[in-house]
Amino acid sequence: MGGMVKELDDKPALPLWLGGAAALAMMVHLYLVFMWVPTESTMGIVQRLFYFHVPAATVAFVACFVGGISAILYLVKRDPKYDDLSLAANETLVVFEIINIGLGMMWARPIWGIWWTWDAKLTSAFLLLFLYVAYLVIRPAAPVEQRATVCAVVCILGMADVPMVYMSNRLFRTQHPSPVIRSGGLAPEMMTTLFFGMATMLLLWLCVLSIRRRIARLDRAAEDLTRRANELDDLRRD
Amino acid sequence: MENLSWLFWGYAAAWAVIFVYLFRLSQKERALRRKISELQEAMEDRWKQKKA
Repeated sequence: MGGMVKELDDKPALPLWLGGAAALAMMVHLYLVFMWVPTESTMGIVQRLFYFHVPAATVAFVACFVGGISAILYLVKRDPKYDDLSLAANETLVVFEIINIGLGMMWARPIWGIWWTWDAKLTSAFLLLFLYVAYLVIRPAAPVEQRATVCAVVCILGMADVPMVYMSNRLFRTQHPSPVIRSGGLAPEMMTTLFFGMATMLLLWLCVLSIRRRIARLDRAAEDLTRRANELDDLRRD
Repeated sequence: MENLSWLFWGYAAAWAVIFVYLFRLSQKERALRRKISELQEAMEDRWKQKKA
């Protein structure tokens, strides 16, 4: 266990190149959003929330799949490193889904005149957030021996909600706007800013994910040390 | 420039969520490292006592 802690000490939580690339990309993204991209003619300046709202949703979907696939790998291989990755991905999913829903609400208030409506898109996105908040609440409450398995099952179920969120405004009539990327409803500058925003958000997510995964490993090391200290105490008593 | 305040507060809130989360993570890492070093010291003491 000492070896594991030493290994965690030797490696930086966040590679310098990744942190640097994310910081640079964030600055360029802000420049594109506030200085470069043209203002949308009907919605006005508030439409620029879209360049953070959609990338945050994209990252939440990616995090969901990374968490789900890691959970499946954990169930197959029983290697705790997959459980750590799954936990890190799912917690970051909650953060980016909160940003996604929050920015959507701040766009909806001036454009629709309401903060929220229970249409298929918004409801399925809320359900996704709710499922993963439940995952984070269940995790510390589950028995230690079964915790990773129980959480893996919950997160595989959560992954099934992503296609529902993605397809909801294609399958149902929703108040949420229809997809604009493939329909050619965006000017080239808007498209560039959106895709750059997605790449930026993915870099930022990778930074947060690597930091969170390291904490999950430290948490596991602390739990193992506590268990061994208790075993040693039991031996001394005998 | 209508609705500029929505844009400003939207971006400010999004960045605030990210920074608060990162701050919380750094605090958690610090607490875990402290706990691990305390546990390691306690384990070493117990081994020494056992050998003695």
